[in-house]
Amino acid sequence: MNRRKFLKQSSLATSLFFVPSFVKAFEQVASKTLGYKRLVIIQLSGGNDGLNTVIPFRNDLYYKERPTLGIAKNDIIKLNDEVGFNNSLAPLKRLYDNSNVSIINNVGYPNPNRSHFRSMDIWQTATDSIKYSQSGWIGRYLDYYGKHPHSAIEIDDSLSLAMKGETLNAIATQDSRAFYNLSKDPYFKNIHKHQNDAHLSEHNLGYLYKSLIAAESSAKYIYETSKTVSSNKAYPNNAFSKQLKTTAQFINSGLETKVFYLSLGGFDTHYNQQGRQDKLLATYAEGIEVFVHDLKDSNSFKDTLILTFSEFGRRVKQNASIGTDHGTANNIFIIGDQLKKPGLYNNMASLSDLDDNGDLKFEIDFRTIYATVLDKWLEVDDRKILNKSFNQLSFI
Amino acid sequence: MNQKHIQHLYWRVGFGILPTELENISKKSKKEVVDNLFQISKKITPLEVDVSDLEELFGGSFDTIKANRNQIQKLSREKTLELNVAWIDRLTYPKELLREKMTLFWANHFVCEDNNYIYTQNFHNTLRQYALGNFKDFVMAISKEAAMTKYLNTKQNKKQKPNENFARELMELFTLGVGNYTEEDIKESARAFTGYGHNFEGDFVFRQRQHDEGVKTFFGKTGAFNGDDIINIILNERQCAKYICGKLYRYFVNDTINDEHVNQMTNVFYKDYDIENIMRFILLSDWFYDEKNIGTKIKSPMELLVGMRNVVPVDFKNAKQLLNIQKLLGQILLNPPNVAGWKGGRNWIDSNTIVLRLKLPSLLLNHAYISKAVSGTTDRFLETKKAIFKKQFGKRFNTVPDWNVFNAVFKNVDVDDLETLILACKMNDGASRYLGALSKVSKQEYCVQLMSLPEYQMC
Repeated sequence: MNRRKFLKQSSLATSLFFVPSFVKAFEQVASKTLGYKRLVIIQLSGGNDGLNTVIPFRNDLYYKERPTLGIAKNDIIKLNDEVGFNNSLAPLKRLYDNSNVSIINNVGYPNPNRSHFRSMDIWQTATDSIKYSQSGWIGRYLDYYGKHPHSAIEIDDSLSLAMKGETLNAIATQDSRAFYNLSKDPYFKNIHKHQNDAHLSEHNLGYLYKSLIAAESSAKYIYETSKTVSSNKAYPNNAFSKQLKTTAQFINSGLETKVFYLSLGGFDTHYNQQGRQDKLLATYAEGIEVFVHDLKDSNSFKDTLILTFSEFGRRVKQNASIGTDHGTANNIFIIGDQLKKPGLYNNMASLSDLDDNGDLKFEIDFRTIYATVLDKWLEVDDRKILNKSFNQLSFI
Repeated sequence: MNQKHIQHLYWRVGFGILPTELENISKKSKKEVVDNLFQISKKITPLEVDVSDLEELFGGSFDTIKANRNQIQKLSREKTLELNVAWIDRLTYPKELLREKMTLFWANHFVCEDNNYIYTQNFHNTLRQYALGNFKDFVMAISKEAAMTKYLNTKQNKKQKPNENFARELMELFTLGVGNYTEEDIKESARAFTGYGHNFEGDFVFRQRQHDEGVKTFFGKTGAFNGDDIINIILNERQCAKYICGKLYRYFVNDTINDEHVNQMTNVFYKDYDIENIMRFILLSDWFYDEKNIGTKIKSPMELLVGMRNVVPVDFKNAKQLLNIQKLLGQILLNPPNVAGWKGGRNWIDSNTIVLRLKLPSLLLNHAYISKAVSGTTDRFLETKKAIFKKQFGKRFNTVPDWNVFNAVFKNVDVDDLETLILACKMNDGASRYLGALSKVSKQEYCVQLMSLPEYQMC
């Protein structure tokens, strides 16, 4: 019996002495001290150019293939004698120096697809690239292990496929108050107040009533729980940081949500790449740094793992418009407080052994990362969710 | 024909029926009503938007087109939005009702998406053209559409380097269903589809030199098959007829398959793969009108939105807002999640969509207002509350409902009869008691109340 269940049951046994609100308060304390692990997923949409993010500045091939787009050695924040960060990632470097960042290089999947749409679909559904799925990996996590729709929240107005399960979907919200206001029209409450159908989930109409009741309850729970906390950190003024701030507020208020999903778009840099990518990476890193400090101050960073990915990396060779075209494998960032192997997790991709398109050959299947996170961090059966068994890595 | 059955029929082959029309056809027999549906859908009216500016960019040599690439893509996005809006308008005011509903059905069967507008529009109208035609011709036409050869990489499928994507999905999603073929079947049929391509205008081009002329073995048959041969062999399998009938059953009849009914359908469809025949069989069968099939399906976002516009015409002043509503409801026309399409049924519903769905009628038609005045009182706040919403959020919901049309169409309808005309299923007891305790302020307010019930989500 876990501690929470024990508390619930013992409180029932001694209900004469425990007022429910006290139990609730006690439970919250308990859940905080016991730790409540959360996963924050950040999607960089459009295909971030990994080679100009984590740069192999000793590799002559890099400069040979990118005569104008390659970033000069002295414009790089060095991580070691061979690899450095894009200059815009200075805030991330500070976290890196604090052992809070793992970089996993050369992540991809077999038979890579270079369409944004399809490759993102593959990352979100976690299926083989020749298969199509109508549910996402977090959605299937919800199917098996989610207690409520709010067990996973996407900080957006609508849900990505990643967050849709076979039977249960996550919640999408950027503004918990607006969502709550939309749901709380007394007309809706009165409609179902008097319904006493015992067979709610058996027929479709009943399912609608049940979904309505669950939605109202989740909207109320998210709003009322999160409004108790507000951040005093100065987040940068942009939409991505706003998502991060909302997420921090949700986490620091003790909201019982296991997975948060955020995204930052605009990485499709076919022409004049550098200025645009630099700006986006700065937006990413500056926001993340404040976010991590915000969590640290509330002692919740130790229970938070941040996974950043993009649907693909970009071609090694720059194109005629001083940009890059769609590629394949890419690096991903793992940010957290309990990393087993902070720093560079593995070697950089080879720039000499490329595929027929001149793209990197992947080394690590992204689903091994999902499997590791599911098993070791969220502590659930990854094979059930991924419908396959993957070797796990040892970054956590 | 019984009124309830007509309503059921029209919800499934269309988007509901208005009282004026209902009264007109209720004197006819079932056969007459169904025959009429096919009669009015005989004609094919393609849906097209003005593409002259796009065609201009397409004219000229390969080099000029290449130079225009960015502009072509930008214009394509705009035109796709235009087609999206035009399609929803077409669904709202259709002439060929059944054909239009079938087109919507097939768009979630032969799922495809492309960033070149011309190809998108061609593909879209191919769906409409064959919607009630012969399924074999349909599959063959789809396999040669430019948008499809791009979407599932048949274009990259060459003799020297086969790409199996189309061959796989052809069987898994378009004809047989997963598990009814082998990996070897996929490999061999992919070879048969080599050499498929298209020109700039989007016309099919067969590239002989890239085609694998060799002998293939597929479903136990051996020959120098081409793509059409493969489709012929697939359709020889009874499983293909069964798979399509199952899908039609779930869409038009019930989420839960009745094996006996689908078996009857398969017998009919397998004979000639004539879509009109199979639809006629469904709509004339007794079981289509079984109590357990009436008002028990969850409306798709399109059925909800278009059905609502049918009762109260509403004009979207900003196309982007119409697009955004589709996004929030989880179904953007011409923008499917992937080739597997939308799952449908209960999958349309989650915490976000259920709340929005219930709120949508009042948002779009009534300045977000749902009257809650208790029986015997008048609603004193009605006008002020609507005015406040209009002032605060009017720009975000820039829609103009035409209640005059509603008032004219429902003129002779008693307010107490509105329930059976607006809702496809019986009201839950709790909802019924609550609504009974409220004042019927006006037909308009009562209509909004009915549309704001979970029951209105059913068809």
